[in-house]
Amino acid sequence: MFGRLFKPPIVAYAHCDIPCGIYDPTPAKIAADTVAKMVEKINQLSPTATDVTTRANFVRMTVVKEEHAQICKKELEILWSDYFKPEHLEKYPKLHDTFWKAAKLCSKNKQNVDATAAAELQAAVKEISDMFWATKK
Amino acid sequence: MRRGPWRVAVAGHSMEPTLREGDRVFVLPPRREPRVGEVVVLRDPRDAKRLLLKRVAAVGDGAVTVMGDRRDHSTDSRYFGDVPLTDVVGRAAFRYAPLGRAGRVRS
Repeated sequence: MFGRLFKPPIVAYAHCDIPCGIYDPTPAKIAADTVAKMVEKINQLSPTATDVTTRANFVRMTVVKEEHAQICKKELEILWSDYFKPEHLEKYPKLHDTFWKAAKLCSKNKQNVDATAAAELQAAVKEISDMFWATKK
Repeated sequence: MRRGPWRVAVAGHSMEPTLREGDRVFVLPPRREPRVGEVVVLRDPRDAKRLLLKRVAAVGDGAVTVMGDRRDHSTDSRYFGDVPLTDVVGRAAFRYAPLGRAGRVRS
């Protein structure tokens, strides 16, 4: 009769689905695409031009590239830590490795102007996006 | 349906400042007709295994409209609609922990 008194209480949720329930890989994709586009545009700048406009554009594109590499990392980390659950890991054993490598690619793209690295980041985000949408089916 | 008082632990932030995450609350059986303003425990309409804590905003025909106190941080009837009275399983009566904030859960 008193057994129930000594059990831990049942959890009741005074909860909110927002922001804890809305997940989408699209912001990460847009960020990765932005990084790739900025690398492309930086590489199109004349390497010898010294006029103020070209220099300003170079700085601006570099800033945008670095910001979006950081945004991409943050968006991926939200999916990684908050959306994906242990049962997803059973289905996708490479999940942690994929996220880890993608996060490292974000850093690499922040540090460098590297079209190959940018393409790799886009591919990694697509892989994560495909996993995400597969869990929604 | 459980008889007598039982206990729940609060998870989440939608009932702040009334109830905070980790608070422990005694729950009494529901009234036959819940009163507007009281805090009730109900089955999540989207997942019957899960219990929710919300405040009764309105009582209609066999159903209640429930809302979190913290409107900008609550998933409630605005989202999942009115909840049938049969899914209201208790009313939050008394916060017994933490001791510093022990007291009646006010309507």
